[in-house]
Formats: sequence, C-alpha cells, structure tokens
Amino acid sequence: MKRTGHIVLSLGRSAVRGLRASPVTTSIAVITIAAALVLAGGFGLLVANMGDLLARFGEELQVVAYLEEGLDGDELRSLAASVSTVEGVESAKIVSKAKALARFRETLGGAELLEGLAENPLPASLEVSLRPGDRTPEGVAVVVASLSGLPGIAELAHGQEWVEGYARFAFVVRVGTLGLGLILAIAALMIVANTIRLAVYSRADEIEILALVGASRSYVRIPFLLEGALQGALGGALAVGLLYLAFVAFRPGLEVGLELVLGNSALRFLSALQATAVVAAGGGLGLLGSLTAVFGARPAR
Amino acid sequence: MSFWERNLPLSGGDGAVRTYHVSKSYIAGSFALRDLTLEVKKGEFVFLTGSSGAGKTTLLKLLFAAERPDEGQILVLGRNIARLRESGIPALRRRIGVVFQDYKLLNLLTIEDNVAIALEVAGAPRREARARAFRMLKQVGLQHRRYHHPLSLSGGEQQRVAIARALVNEPEILLADEPTGNLDPELTLEIMDLIAEASTRGTTVMVATHDLGLVGRYGRRTIRLEGGRIAEDAPDVGRDP
Repeated sequence: MKRTGHIVLSLGRSAVRGLRASPVTTSIAVITIAAALVLAGGFGLLVANMGDLLARFGEELQVVAYLEEGLDGDELRSLAASVSTVEGVESAKIVSKAKALARFRETLGGAELLEGLAENPLPASLEVSLRPGDRTPEGVAVVVASLSGLPGIAELAHGQEWVEGYARFAFVVRVGTLGLGLILAIAALMIVANTIRLAVYSRADEIEILALVGASRSYVRIPFLLEGALQGALGGALAVGLLYLAFVAFRPGLEVGLELVLGNSALRFLSALQATAVVAAGGGLGLLGSLTAVFGARPAR
Repeated sequence: MSFWERNLPLSGGDGAVRTYHVSKSYIAGSFALRDLTLEVKKGEFVFLTGSSGAGKTTLLKLLFAAERPDEGQILVLGRNIARLRESGIPALRRRIGVVFQDYKLLNLLTIEDNVAIALEVAGAPRREARARAFRMLKQVGLQHRRYHHPLSLSGGEQQRVAIARALVNEPEILLADEPTGNLDPELTLEIMDLIAEASTRGTTVMVATHDLGLVGRYGRRTIRLEGGRIAEDAPDVGRDP
C-alpha cells in the first residue's frame, strides 16, 4: 500500500514534469479545450437562464375570465366557486369592476383617459390560478377548454400561445446546445488526443529509458493520462473564468433588453456545481483524449 | 512442449545467462544471430567482441527482453525470455542494469533524479531513492554534480551517471553496449574500472565492445561473434589491469 502511494506520487510528479516540459503544446491543448467549453458552456448558460424564465412564466401563468355585464355579487361568488372546482384550477380570484378600474388607474398613473366616460367600462373578471403541476401550455389548454362553456364568462385571456412558442424555442436551443456541445466535445477530444500523441512521440526517448530501467507499462502510460486530465481540467477552469468575465460584462445590457421584452430580467451564472461540472467535463475530455492517444500509440518495449 | 524446451537444463544452478540455439533476424534471410548457444555464470565478466553487425547488440537486446528470439530459448536469471509475458519484463529489467554508448539519460532531470528513477519505478520512496542515488553518485565520483542536468556534463561524466543508474538497484546482471564508444582512452579506463568493480561485488557483467585493446588489457572471458555466430570463446586469463 505504501509502495503504491510512492508510485502514485512519482506518477503525479512525472505528469506535472511533462506539462512543464512542453509549455507551448500544453497551452494549445488547454486553450482549445477552454474554447470548446466556453462555447458549450455559454449555450448551457443560455439554456439554464431560458429554463429559469420559462419556470417563472409558468408560476405566473394564469387564465383571466372576463365576465358578462350585470352579474351581481352572489352570482360572481357562485361562478368563482364553480370555476375553483374545475380540474387543474388552484383558485379563482374575483376582480370586481371597481377593482379593475382602480388597477387601471394605478397602472397608468392617472384617470384622465376615463374621465370622459359616464360609467366604468371595465368588466369584472376572475383571475384563475393553475395548480403547480398544470402550469404548462397543455394545462392551460385543458383549463381554457373547461371554462369556455361556463355561463357568465364572456371571454378568456391567457398567454398559452406565447408560452408554447417560448417553450418550443427553449427546446430547440436545448437540443441545439446538446448537438453543438457534442460536436465541440469531439473536436476538443481529437485535439487533445493529437496533443498527447505528439507528447508521446516527442518523449519517445523518455518512454524508452523508463522501460529500460524496469518501469511497467502503466507507469509509463499513467503520467500521460494524468497530463491529459490535468490539461482538460485547466481548460475547464479557464472556460469557467472566461464565461464569468463575459457574463459580468454582458449582463447589464442583456438584463435591460430582457426587462423591456419580457418584463423579467434576473439572469444567473452557473452554480458552483455546474461550474465544477464544466471543469470535470474538461478533465474528462482530456482524459479521453489522452486515452485515445496512449492506447493508440505503439507500446515501448 | 518444443524440443528445446524439453532439453532446457533445470533452472537454478550457477548460470546467469543461458542461450540455446538462438536465432534472430530482422530481414528475411539475413541473420543477426544464428544458432547461438552460450552460458555465462553468475558473477562472471564477459566481453562480447566482433565487428559491426556481428550480433553483439542483438544479443544484449535479447537478454534484457527488448527483442524476442525467432528460434531457440534464452534463460536470464532463470526466466525464459522467449516465453516471458509482456507484463513480466519490467520485473526482470529491475534485476538487470543496462549501459549504452549514448548514455540514454533523461535531460529534463537532474543527474540524481536520473539515478533515482531506477528505484522509483519499482516503488521506492522518493527520499530513499534520492539518498541511494546520492550514495551511488558518490561511488562514481559525481556527488558534487547531483543537481546538474545531463547536458551540462561531459561524455565521461554522463556515462558515469548511466553506470550509477544501472547499478543503483544492485542488479544481478550488468549489460553494457559499447559503453566507452564515445570516450577518449583515459575516460575509457575510468568507465571500465567502474564496470569491473561491479563484477568484483558479484554482479554478472557482459560488455559489448569492438575495442580489442581494452579486451586485452582486462584479460577476461571473451566471446567473439562473427555473422551472428560464436567464432571464438576465449577463457578468462585472470589478468589484473
């Protein structure tokens, strides 16, 4: 066990020595992996934020039922009660004509627009909240279908089509990111494999000497695998750093744009776990690349 | 079981190296070694001589399992090289020290690390490996240059480092392929003395050289190869240089 520990330490030193011995090649591999992961990670960040927005829209997703004129208080309450029993509905909140007018004034900051009118033109409505599991375009469709036949309801308003379009867009971006990530990963893998292969060739003498003094094949190979994994992890860490810098730089502009278009602007960076996953993905890419190179190379005898 | 395997003498005894009708060729129809049978006893000092292409280097390569014989059997320290698995080679090599004409040192490492690496690959703790490497460097007179890198050393010094590396794990066999080929006469004797000293400690030594003056000076058993065959096997005359 102690002997294994000494061998592991020795292999680690050998791997670090290998990285330091060829700084240009190492830098190229690290930068390549970082570039691939910045692109993939950037799209990942986009997908994560789009997912967040979608979730927030879901939470706010509701159906507004505008009511016919002339319903009195009892009829309103009775309608609200029957709407509440509809499958998928969490609650139905009554917004009276007076309350609708008050909100209108509040939103527009004044009542000048309505001053010329003899009576309140705004209808009473029911704000129908959906159960958490039904806050989806499909859930909205089911509730709308159930409500549309109820007496007393004049019109139904909902953001179903918009949300459906956004969800489709988010899906396309997610699939696109996955595809792009895969292509970039393969490209990075091939570059790392070639970098390590070059390192194997450029250090053929070292490999031969190690074999001559009795190093096992694993002892010769493992440093190259560690080098690949280290290069990959360094590339991953660099990618996270670059992504963060880009995020900090572009966040204010993006948030203003989103606020204007969507009315919702909170963007977030990768979580600690996600950032660790990017570094680990880099390490994995590096390891895979070096495995391809080392096991594809002719063994030293 | 083949004829030769059936006829191999029992392992053990006092033979460090035994070859039985060994042939090796790199190009079809041209033999580097042909039907070579020899025995080198434990602790023996043997010179291998012969012109270029006589088969000296091929024989040494077969002995440390860098090559496999096409025919015949080779017993090195009781292990049959022809049947040795790939995974068994490192363990055998840790019992054999090898010295080359071109030193084969790792230029990125200090000379102390170059020597210590032979111990580290076998799992020796770094501190212990370096301490033993330092002691070995002291024996070859290079302790003061322990932190230097090979390229800052002269040819003779580099070869002394290579010998230190070959001997640091106290091998049972020391193989040297033209160890003085790149050195001037004075350094040649210095290096040969180091190798001969290993022999006095019980290490079996085989030195391939085309320097007949050197061979004559030491008067040890000399096997002359010609066209891959043994042309002459002259016994040790016990001369002390």
